[in-house]
Parts: sequence; C-alpha cells; structure tokens
Amino acid sequence: MNKAHRKLILPGVIVFFITALVFLAPILPLADVREMSIPSRFAGPSASHWLGQDEFGRDVLARLIWGGRASLFIAVGSALAAAVIGTALGLLGGFFRGVVEVLTVRASEVILCLPLLLLALLVVAILGAGTWPLIIALTILYTPNYARVVYSATLQVRSLDYVTAQTAMGAHPMQILARTVLPNIMPPLLVQMSLVIASALVIESGLSFLGLGVVPPTPSWGLMIRAARGAMEQQPLLLIWPSLALAGTIFTFNLLCDRLQSVLDPRGITGGGAFWLRKNQRKTVENERVAEPSTDALLLVEDLSIVLGREGRDTELVRGVSFKVMPGETRAIVGESGSGKTLSGLALNGLLPDVLSINGGRALFSTREGAQVDLTRLDEDAFRSLRGREVSMVFQDAAAALNPVLRIGEQVGEAIRAHKEIDDAALDERIISLLRQVGLPDPERRVRSYPHELSGGQRQRAMIAVAVANEPRLLIADEPTTALDPTIQAQILDLFKTLMADTSGMGLIFVTHDLAVVSEIADRVTVMYAGEVVEEGPVADVFERPRHPYTAALIASVPEGDADRLIAIPGTVPTPKDLPPGCRFAPRCAHAIDACTTHSPEAEHPSLDRRTRCIRWKDVT
Amino acid sequence: MLRYIAYRCVVALFLVWVVVTSVFLLLHLIPGDPAELLLSQGSIAADPAAVEALRERMGLNEPLWQQYLDHLGGVLTGDLGASFRDGAPVIEQIATRLPRTLEVIVAAALIATSIGVPLGTYAAIHANSFADNVISFFASAALSTPVFVVGTVVILIFAQQLRILPAGGFVPFSEDPLGHIQLLLLPAGTVALSLLAVITRMSRASVLEVLQRDYVRTARAKGIVRKRILRRHVVRNALIPVLTILGLEMGTLIGGTVLVEFVFNWPGLSGYLVAAVDARDYPEVVGIVMTISILFVFLNLVIDVINAALDPRISLVRR
Ligand code: SF4
Repeated sequence: MNKAHRKLILPGVIVFFITALVFLAPILPLADVREMSIPSRFAGPSASHWLGQDEFGRDVLARLIWGGRASLFIAVGSALAAAVIGTALGLLGGFFRGVVEVLTVRASEVILCLPLLLLALLVVAILGAGTWPLIIALTILYTPNYARVVYSATLQVRSLDYVTAQTAMGAHPMQILARTVLPNIMPPLLVQMSLVIASALVIESGLSFLGLGVVPPTPSWGLMIRAARGAMEQQPLLLIWPSLALAGTIFTFNLLCDRLQSVLDPRGITGGGAFWLRKNQRKTVENERVAEPSTDALLLVEDLSIVLGREGRDTELVRGVSFKVMPGETRAIVGESGSGKTLSGLALNGLLPDVLSINGGRALFSTREGAQVDLTRLDEDAFRSLRGREVSMVFQDAAAALNPVLRIGEQVGEAIRAHKEIDDAALDERIISLLRQVGLPDPERRVRSYPHELSGGQRQRAMIAVAVANEPRLLIADEPTTALDPTIQAQILDLFKTLMADTSGMGLIFVTHDLAVVSEIADRVTVMYAGEVVEEGPVADVFERPRHPYTAALIASVPEGDADRLIAIPGTVPTPKDLPPGCRFAPRCAHAIDACTTHSPEAEHPSLDRRTRCIRWKDVT
Repeated sequence: MLRYIAYRCVVALFLVWVVVTSVFLLLHLIPGDPAELLLSQGSIAADPAAVEALRERMGLNEPLWQQYLDHLGGVLTGDLGASFRDGAPVIEQIATRLPRTLEVIVAAALIATSIGVPLGTYAAIHANSFADNVISFFASAALSTPVFVVGTVVILIFAQQLRILPAGGFVPFSEDPLGHIQLLLLPAGTVALSLLAVITRMSRASVLEVLQRDYVRTARAKGIVRKRILRRHVVRNALIPVLTILGLEMGTLIGGTVLVEFVFNWPGLSGYLVAAVDARDYPEVVGIVMTISILFVFLNLVIDVINAALDPRISLVRR
C-alpha cells in the first residue's frame, strides 16, 4: 500500500459514513421529519434537537439525514443508471466502431453541446418536478460522460493482443466484452462515478432549491436551503447546516475522485515549482569575487560535484569534474547518456533543475572586465547578468527550446534587450544581421516567422543566433546537432567552426556523445563516464592513443568510412544509485583486474597535458 | 488565421443546428403526448378538449417533418412562438433579458480570470509550499460549494450582517450607473467563485507544466529578468489550456447564472427560465434553452478565436 492508496482512506471512510447514515435513516432513533411544533419555531440546538428546529419547529438533524437520503438516492441512482447505459453505449461504440460508434457514442455526445442545468430544466419542464423526473434528467445528462470514458478505454483494450487473439479464435464479441474489456475499464469508471455523483448532487440540490426538483414535504438539502433563505435573519443556523452538509458531501466525493485519479495515474503527483522564480529565495552562498591570482584560462572547473536531493541523503550524479577552457579554444565533453556531461554544462550556466545542486568544487570564470567569478557560488540574480552576455547556451532540441508562440525576431531581440539599451530600429537591424550571420535564409522575412514555420536546421540556426546575440565569452553547446539529420548536422558544425573563427577569444564547450563530431570540431576533449572524467587531452593525441579502456572502446565503436556497424560496448552505464565499487567502468572493462574493483582509480598524468583515470593505463594502451 | 476563424464559424453553425434539432427531438422522443404531459398536474388527468386545443396550438397535429421545418424556420426568422402565459412573443422577453445575463457572465469571467490566473501562477511557482496548500484547499472548497449556497451565504454576510451591499435587485445602468454596479457585484462575484477555483487549479497545473519546458530554460539562459520570463514565456503559454477550460466551463457558468439570477432577483434570461419552467410555459422554455445554447456555442467560438490569436500553431491544426 503506497502513499496514494493510503490517501484514499480518508474520503473513503467519510463516504462510507455518509452512506451508512442515510441508508440507516429509517432505523435510527430520529425525530419525525414532519412533526411540527409551532411554539418552538427557530429554536436553537437543544438536548432533544441537537441541531435545533426549523421554521415549523421540525427537527433539523432528522431532516438533514432524511434530506441527504433523498439527495444521495437521486445522485447515486442516476449515476448508476447513466453508468449502465453509458458503459453499454461506449462498449458497443468502441468495439464495433463505424456506424455503431456514430449511433452510440457520437449521438450521446450531442448532449454535451448543451449546458447541463439547462437540459435538466428542459426535461423538468416537460415531465414536471419530482424525484423520478430528476433521475431521468440526470441519467440523460451523464450518460455521454461514461460513454466517452468507456469508449476510449475500450479502444485501448481492444487492440491488446489477447483480445485480438480471442476474436480470432471465434469468441462471441459480447463474451469478449464482458470478460476482458469490462474489468479493464473499471478504474476509470470509478473515477467517473465519483465525479458524476458530486456533479449530480450539485444539480439536484440546485433544482430543488429552485423548487423544481424534489417536491415537499420530502426533505432535501436544496429545499432546506430554500426555506432557510426566507428566515435567514431569525435563524442563520438553519442555512448553515444544510449548506455544510451539501458542500461537505460534494467535497468528499470530489476528493475521492481526485485521490482515485492519483492512484490510477501516479504521474500527476510529481512536485515541481520553480525555486529560481520565488522572490525571496534563500541565498545559499555569499556572492564573492575570487581574488586570488589565477590562470589565463577563460574557465577553470575544479572538482565540480552535482547531487540529487537538496539535503540529507543525496545521490551524487557528477563527481570531481575538472577541466579548463582557454580563450578561443573548443573543448568537447563526450560521453554516453547518463555520463553527467549535460548536467556539467547546465551547472556552468546555473540552469540545473531544482532537485539538483552543486555540492562541491568551483568553476572560475574570467569576465570581460577581467574579474574572476566562481560560477558555482552565484545566485539567480548574479547569474542573470552573466547569462547570455558572458556565458551562453545552445540546447539540443531547438524545437523545444524556442518558445512556440513568439516570433523568431522577438526571441532573438529579447536576448539583446536583456543586456543592452537599444532603440527599435537598431534592434531590428541587429536581429537581421545576426540571423544572416548564422546563415538563416531570407532573414528579413524570417524575423516574423514562428518556430514551427522553420525547418529543424533553421530552428537550430535561430537558437544559435539567440546564444551569440551578445557576443558571449563562453558558449556552451549541449548536443546541438543530435536532433538533426546528417547533412544538416554537418552544416551546423560548419557554422560553429565559422563562428569560432570569426569571434576572437570566445571559448566553446561542445557537449556530445558523438566522437566523429569531436574530431571534427574540438581542440581538446574530456571523456566522461558515470559522472566522472575518465580521460582528457588534446583531441588528436587522444584519438591516436587513448589512455583509458573506455575511450578506446568508444573510438572502436565509431563507424569507420562506410561501415555502419557499431561495435557497441557491452553493458550499460551504471545508474548513480548503484555504482560499482572501485573503478566505475570495471563491469564493462575488458581489462579489469581485481584491484580495479577495490580502489577508485585516481587521475594520473600519462604526459603533461593528458589525464586518465585508470590504474592500468600503462598496460592497456 | 482568417481561414481558421471561418472554419470555426462553420463548426459553430453546425453545433447550433445540432442544438436546435436535439431540442426538437427531445420533445418528440419523450414518451407520451407533450400536450397532455404539459397540462397534467400530478395524478390529475388533463381535460381532453384542452389537450386537443393545445395540440393544435403547438402544431402537434401536423406531420413530423412539417413541424421540424417550422421549428427550424422559426429559429432562423427569430420567431420563437408566443408565451402561453401572456401571449407575448417570446423573442421580445429574450431580447431585453439576454444582455443582463451576458453582463453577469462576462463580469464573472473577468473577475475569475483576473484573480485566478495570478493566484494559480503563484501556487505553481510555490508548489507544495504552505501557501500552495492553502490555495488548493480553498479551490477545492469553492468547487464543492454549489453556487446557490454561495449566493445565499453571501447575502447573509454582505447584505444582512455587514450591510455593505444590496441583497439583490436591478436598476438599469442608464438610470443609476453606480447602483447598477453595486447590484451586479454580488451576483457576478458569486458566479465567479467556482469558476475562479477552476481557473486557479488549471493555471497552477498549466504553469507547472510550462515551467518544465525547455523554452523557459532558454529564456533563463538569455539572462532576461524574472518578470519578463514569467509574463512572456510562462504565463503566456500557460494561458492557452486555461482558456480552453474556460470554454468548457461556459456550461457550468451559464447554469450558474440560472441559480444566481434567482437568488439575487436579477431579471436576466436565466431567472426568467426558472419562472417559465415553473409555469411549464413550453414555448418560453424552448426559446430560452435554445437561445442560451446558441450563446454557449457562440462564447466557445469567441474563446477559440482568442486562443488561436494566442497560439499561432492552433490555426494550423484542423481536425
Ligand atoms: S581501472 Fe581497471 S576497470 Fe577501470 S578502466 Fe582501468 S583497467 Fe578498466
């Protein structure tokens, strides 16, 4: 029994209690609902009349319970009747499709074109007020809801293998429906049921309130509220009791529906929010300028670690990552998915999801003004002034990364406006020249296009235009070519190369899983595996003589020439929750020895500008 | 865009036809003779002569297809028949009362959206915090309280206990603008409450979803100030499903006006409907139900068009 199931208990128990109460009304020791006592009109609560007496001196508690009986009888009765009819229609429609579908499901959906209460009024106008007309009206009203739910569930079930198999074996369709489809659609039916009961209660009480529903002297909550309305000034309690009973019951059924839904579809429970948007967010660390004299590197990342979970039991996703980027240099970070390469890139722009945080290391970045800031210690506001202007990012899937409802021009323009005061004409000019720079054809027209009007390659170009709009010092590109087809990929790579050639001093971090891309574009490469850097060095050297078995295996798996056969590395990347002891690559490594599983290998330097995290690098490469 | 609007208009016209036809069918599909049903009071059988006269008046003696054509023609020419009660053309009453109902609906929708969207957005940003839980609780409570209960309690509080607003009634805007607005406040607020709950919930869910989208991350990566990210990227996109829900809720909203007009003595179309149903004045009921249903279709059309303006992708989708 998980949390979602436990949460069902409360509304379940209350519904049971209410149902039991109204069901047992005839045998409970209640006062007679019709017994009047004019002298004690509007009497308050007393020992013999717990909730007081109404405008005719009748016992309010008894009327409340009997009223609930009438209301629930109508609501549940019509919900059940509608369920039976709707289910039948939905099953037939979903199973036979074609004409049957039109006659059943589609025909009943016509009712949904009309406002519910109006339809109920129409039926009451024809049949007159009373309990049974109400049940008929509500049944008609709710049938299409069930028909819809059952119809779509049936469609899903019917394509399942075993149902097809039964049909093929010549089972009678009705048998199949009864045996396989019905049990499968029970859960959504239950949700629908609690929803319909709540809604039917609203309409029933509304009609009774208008005097068009339950006919006096039968007590009903709607009628009680109607009566109390006239006597509000003498005895407001008379209004409060039935109101509470009615709202409480509806609330309970709604709650039951919500909770049933979250049992059936646990995805809905996931939290969310946005810490970065909250106003007075706690500043985790002081913003500080790092004063120490340092390298001429544009970016120096040291021992960067990223954990899942804010406090307490964290899972380390990225551990001890170090690398640097020199001005004008292209650094590739390569690895399989799950290696932590994308997270490292996001962390450098302060864009980690809320559930992740940096818990160690630093990332020294030298700004345009020559100051050095530690990117791991900035808060949202401090980062904001750097983003786009100093550090910029190109994302993997441009279709998702561009806002679908804003024009390309606006999306590029707001990036510029974020950091620069600029008048409209100059802005337009700048946008168009940017779009031209990234090779978007017909930029004057394209500024007015929406993302969905561009091709995949054009969208990525627009994305790049956004990223370079303020001539950043550091560009982080996260798999910018992965979503594109090969010819476009090559064009985009060329664009990156041109940009690097044209912009002096801009550093590029190119995150990818594709070694071919690495050899094409990068000066230096960092290879990541399971959250750690396993090897790093100049691209040519690493390719020529990998110093880590993982890199070697990756290089071997790159298709050479026309051969499109990949020599895949056996096994998968371990998840951060169950990392192997010792070397994280050991379970997949062809060279593993016992020592590999006892100690985590430290980074070693085979030569001045190379690093590897393998105890056997001397033997294996 | 224009083509899309034209397309939606055609769909709306089709829906109007469906409504008009189904109202006609409903009358003839209900078992028994409508004239007899209308004249019977409980168990007392109706006078056969009176039934025959009513059948004649309602055109029930004509062949079915003739009745259907008359019905359609009546709707097209605005001739919805004459009231049983006073013999006046139904369309006249509708014409005076419809604007008043529309006024309540529009005011309620405005109140609900202008409060609900910011509230839901706030709850989403602070998801699972204390404030979020409080908002969620009140939204559920508001959703579970029928509109006539809210209305009655509101009268109890504002008109009888605090005595700051009138309990109900109506003055034309042209006679007393301030009084008119004062009188409008409670009914519109009452209708708005449950809609407010729906919109708050929907905005919360919608904003939560948009916050996970890549383009919000892109917006952050640009270094734009929070306020602009929120306005241009988050809320702007989150509004689209919220508006769709608003369209779906129109039915509840119109239903709400029926009760609210009754509670506050607001002389709109919906309250008139209650009186007509009570008197079982058949032409009036059919006329009003059809008018309101057409209004319902029309309001949905308006929302579709606003939505298309907000989301350029919509006008491409044609189902
Ligand atoms: S340390 Fe051992 S297991 Fe790890 S890569 Fe080197 S040889 Fe393989």
